[in-house]
Amino acid sequence: MPEKRKYKKRYCKYCEAKVDFMDYKDAGALRFSLSERYKIMPRRLTGNCKRHQDMISIVIKRARAAALVPYTVTRKQVVVAPFENLK
Amino acid sequence: MRNYENLVIVKPTLTAEEIQAHVKAIEEVITSNGGEIIATSPMGMRKLAYPIEKNERGYYHVIYSSIAPSAITEIERRFRINEDLLRFVTIKYDTNREIAAFNGMVEKAKKAAEVPAKVETPAVEEAPTEAPAVETAAPVATEAAAE
Repeated sequence: MPEKRKYKKRYCKYCEAKVDFMDYKDAGALRFSLSERYKIMPRRLTGNCKRHQDMISIVIKRARAAALVPYTVTRKQVVVAPFENLK
Repeated sequence: MRNYENLVIVKPTLTAEEIQAHVKAIEEVITSNGGEIIATSPMGMRKLAYPIEKNERGYYHVIYSSIAPSAITEIERRFRINEDLLRFVTIKYDTNREIAAFNGMVEKAKKAAEVPAKVETPAVEEAPTEAPAVETAAPVATEAAAE
């Protein structure tokens, strides 16, 4: 008897949408691959393919340099600056 | 010549005219170094994701241009000297795919630059439609209060 699959079948959201290029200025679109604390989500959780994960990680880092996305969120900031900035 | 995108953040403490003057000066830095500005798109005053030099907000401005690669270092050096510039990000658009995206963004920016003149009229029309909505809502609220 084959082992039961524990998780849903993973698929790359960006492949589905046929994303060729990501814009770092569109911070709202980066939300999907960011955690609550604005860490870059790992591939094993989002299901992104390698190609798109590479793209998104570069784009997120650019957005961080441009102060569109925070580098870190401390306990204090979590309450003060949640998602209003990413719309 | 290569396509570049410069995002600059100007200090928010300046007045609107001063900010515009600074943006012009920044664009001049590019043109004086042999760059050709294709399009610009002001993103306006935004809240920064984290404070830069104790500023919570900043004026974002994006410049799409084609610049000789050798001139970039000089342009960035000039940007670094400018104290009213909080941050700048220079992005290169080199591969075919990136250039296609670049052209798309340039067109969008050009359209956005043209639109404001047209947008003004619908904005005026929207205002009256909103006003009656408030009026209708108000009586209901008073009725509910009366009950």
